[in-house]
Amino acid sequence: MEDKSSSSYDYKLILATTVVLGGISVICVAAMFYFKAAAVHEMAATAQMAYLNTMNGIVAPFIIALILLLGICVPKRLLPERWLNRFTIVLLAVALVTFLALGGHPALLLILFASLALQLVVLGMALAGSASLNFESKNYWVRLGSSLVHLGLILFVLDLYFHRYHTLHLVLFWITTGAVVLGMLFCFYAEQVAGLIRRWWPARA
Amino acid sequence: MENLAVAVETYSRGGAVLMPLLLLCALLLAVTGLGNLFGRRPLLPRWSFWLLLATAGLMLLGFLGMIWFHWQIAQHAVLELPEQLAAMLNQQLAAMNRGAAYGIPLYDPQSPPRYLIPPWIEYQRYYFWFFCFALMAVLAHRRLENHRFRGSLYLLLAAQLVVLYFLADPFREPLPRFFAEITPWFTAPSAWEQLGMFMRLYPRLEFYYTASYMWFHPPLLFISYACITIFFAVSLLMLIRRELEVEKVGYDYAKFGYFLLTLGMLLGYPWALKAWGPNWWWDPKVSSSIMLWAIFSTYLHTRLYANKKGMWYFSAALGLLCFVAMIFTFVASYIFPGEHSLM
Repeated sequence: MEDKSSSSYDYKLILATTVVLGGISVICVAAMFYFKAAAVHEMAATAQMAYLNTMNGIVAPFIIALILLLGICVPKRLLPERWLNRFTIVLLAVALVTFLALGGHPALLLILFASLALQLVVLGMALAGSASLNFESKNYWVRLGSSLVHLGLILFVLDLYFHRYHTLHLVLFWITTGAVVLGMLFCFYAEQVAGLIRRWWPARA
Repeated sequence: MENLAVAVETYSRGGAVLMPLLLLCALLLAVTGLGNLFGRRPLLPRWSFWLLLATAGLMLLGFLGMIWFHWQIAQHAVLELPEQLAAMLNQQLAAMNRGAAYGIPLYDPQSPPRYLIPPWIEYQRYYFWFFCFALMAVLAHRRLENHRFRGSLYLLLAAQLVVLYFLADPFREPLPRFFAEITPWFTAPSAWEQLGMFMRLYPRLEFYYTASYMWFHPPLLFISYACITIFFAVSLLMLIRRELEVEKVGYDYAKFGYFLLTLGMLLGYPWALKAWGPNWWWDPKVSSSIMLWAIFSTYLHTRLYANKKGMWYFSAALGLLCFVAMIFTFVASYIFPGEHSLM
């Protein structure tokens, strides 16, 4: 029963992710047509900046929703469903309080850093081959890959906050790229990676 | 300039022989494609495979011709100035570099800048994309013995070759934009005029034509487009029949395509920062690429539950939507203004 229920939970999360990604797609297409109709590229620099800020404001709720979904996706690896629901409610409540007290950016940063900290724990456990993680797949490399991809996504959104700090921004960007690329390789080609490890590093396999 | 003119002539003549042959292949592929897609039994399976292989082989020849042509350009299209102007030029370049996040290298008279351009610019991008598809079609053909799937591959390749012949022949008038940019350099009456042109041509050469990212960002995207085209064929078949082995092949190509698309997009990011600065977010092409990536991500998420009721068709529909989004993203450069615009 527990398996079926957690599978259904995953399924709902995936459907929610689908809706959010669909929303982002629609905004992107609308932005393209608006860009052309309003000839944004011919506007003065200040008007262009205003346009960028407006679009950022429109897409922000969807990015927040995506981060919140990640915020649920990440601890679901660690916690059983009952605790996961409690954790989600607490996370949302703390974020809401932070939002009301300090504003949107600190609230988002709170969720991002909470997700980052949890994801690093998940990554460490996946790396150690812990059996207590709740993954659909039992494959070591798929678990590690999935953890790296999620870590990369969290880091990418976090990196956007630091775009004004040129060096930090680029360093974080390359860490993000490395995590996502390695993660996808491990997820998509788990058997081949395991085969390579067996061949080149038999003791580790 | 004479050497370049000879290279252009030779390249075009080679293309004039190659392209009609490819069109003939397209016609034959279309016939066998239709026969296999709609027939109950495989139509000329062995002959069809050899035709596919011959088409890919011809495309390989054309691609090698492009590499040769670009090597000729690198040999003969050089922004060379008299040595006495170098010091003055470098003073201007140093002034430009002051305060810039990404500087431009100073002019070295011993090694003047030359156009070493990858073979996927202008119409060549279509050729490269379709060539990658042809190679993948050969691999997919060998992997799966399903005549409907094979038929759809032949038909798609035939359609691409027809587009190439009638709308995007890279041999008929080679690299028109590039030559429109650099021809005045060779016809300039004096070195002083060349100096003025140099300040326009050199940044574009550094940040676009010979940029290191140019060797990674576009080809990764074009190879991923070829993968998306394969899994478009699979998604179409998924709507008609429930064949797990066909879906499995499509999923493998989708994974590979998604990997390359993500990597290609990520590698475009530092290049954009270098070439355009930080204010290019919400550029139409970037928006459409993010849309494509979001739809592709959605497909991969839903595919995990393809066996659930209704999800098989939903993920197939997303596969089709992904293809439409890819075409939209590709043609966006021709329709929408912005940093990627080819209008």
